[in-house]
Order: sequence, then C-alpha cells, then structure tokens
Amino acid sequence: MRKQVPYSVPDGYFDSLNSRLSSIPQQRARVNFLPYLAMAASFLILLAVGNFILNRTASSYQADDSEIIEYLIESGTTLAQVENIMDY
Amino acid sequence: MQDKESVFNGLVRQYSEQLYWHVRGIVGSHEDADDILQEVFIKAWNSLDGFRGDADLFTWLWRIATNESISHLRKARVRAALSFSRLDSEAARVSDPSPYFDGDAAMRSLRKAIAALPDKQRAVFTMRYWEELSYEQISEITNTSVGALKASYHFAYEKVKQFLTDTD
Repeated sequence: MRKQVPYSVPDGYFDSLNSRLSSIPQQRARVNFLPYLAMAASFLILLAVGNFILNRTASSYQADDSEIIEYLIESGTTLAQVENIMDY
Repeated sequence: MQDKESVFNGLVRQYSEQLYWHVRGIVGSHEDADDILQEVFIKAWNSLDGFRGDADLFTWLWRIATNESISHLRKARVRAALSFSRLDSEAARVSDPSPYFDGDAAMRSLRKAIAALPDKQRAVFTMRYWEELSYEQISEITNTSVGALKASYHFAYEKVKQFLTDTD
C-alpha cells in the first residue's frame, strides 16, 4: 500500500501466510463425503418415518372366514372357486 | 506449460501480502482480513481453470477480494441487525485499540469515518485513498464506470471530511 496505513500484523504472520495458502490445493483435493452421508441419512430417516406412519395407519382388523366368503361371493367369485380357496 | 498448482503458488507468492493489505483496508480487522484472504485464495484456486485471461491477474484477484470483503461487511451488518447492536459499534470494532492498530487518535478517527461509509463506497475509497489505484483500475475491478467511481469517491471524501469535523 502506498500510504502509511496504521495497521500492523502479528509477528511472523506473512512468513506463515504463504505456506498456509499454498496448502489450499491439497485441502481441496480431499474428497468431502459429508454431503453424501447427509443425503443417505436423510433418505433413511424418510424411509423410517414413512414406515412408521404406514404401520400406525394400517388397520389391524382381522376378518373372519364368513366375512371373507361373503366378500368373495359379492365380488363375483363362484361357489366352486370359494370352496377351492377354503380347502387350500 | 505450468501446472495449475505451480501457477497458484506463484499467485500466492506474488500477491498474498499486497492482497492482505487491500482486504485489511476495507474490513479493518486483522482476524477478518485473514479469514477473507483464505476465502479469496480458495475461490481463486476453484476458478483458476476457468480464468480466460480477459482481465489481468491483478484485476482478477482484486475483484474476488473486493467482492469477498463487501460480502463480509454485509453479513456483519445483518448479524449486527439481528443482535440489535448498533451499526456504529461495527465501526468502533474495526478501529478499536487492538494490538494491530498503530495509529494515533487522528488516524483512529479517520478509520471510523471510513468504516461508517456504505460498503462499496468504503471499498472504492480504500482502493483510491490507501492503495492509490487509478480510476481505470478500480473500474475494471468493480465493473463500475470511471464517472460513477469519481462521483462515489467525491461523496465518500466529503462524508469522511464531515465526520471528522463533527467528531472534533
């Protein structure tokens, strides 16, 4: 700087500055896995939350045989097919 | 043909100290200047492949450094606003009696006056007053017309003069 600025720096600052700045290429060369880990973690969390919500909202009702047979008949299944299913 | 790392190390050797004073002149604090300088050279490393030589290296580096310094000042203002602290405390911080300030009371007042300028005007004033860069150089660095820079510097100079008069 041309004019005399009223600032100073710590002793040896500029001696170490160049070596610190020159190490930037090596620092940049190291692959940063953190973003990929963050993405994987987010995906797993979404999966877990989705599964939890699905299990909570799914009905735990268990239909008995007569209800199943009634449903099959109403949906057009023949008696012979129903008997086959029940024997199975 | 030099490899990228050799070119980069050459830039560091040639410009790091000068660039430090450029940044320090804008932001005031040694710690901030050191942080910003690291960011400047990281950006320089990342952009070196795309550097087409349409500006010279000095202008290119000074442009990165000026933009980083102004960005830093803006973030400091946002932080100050969010913490409800007064903006002139930022001005006091950059010229406080730290171990890295050698000036007398008059110089301290001048630094406070410069710190009170709007961010870009502060950068222009620093480049013109402290570094004595030409308007043409500053124009290339800031991508602002010479006419606008002259007006900006004139207003900044008047504000600084007024600040010093008011605080006398």
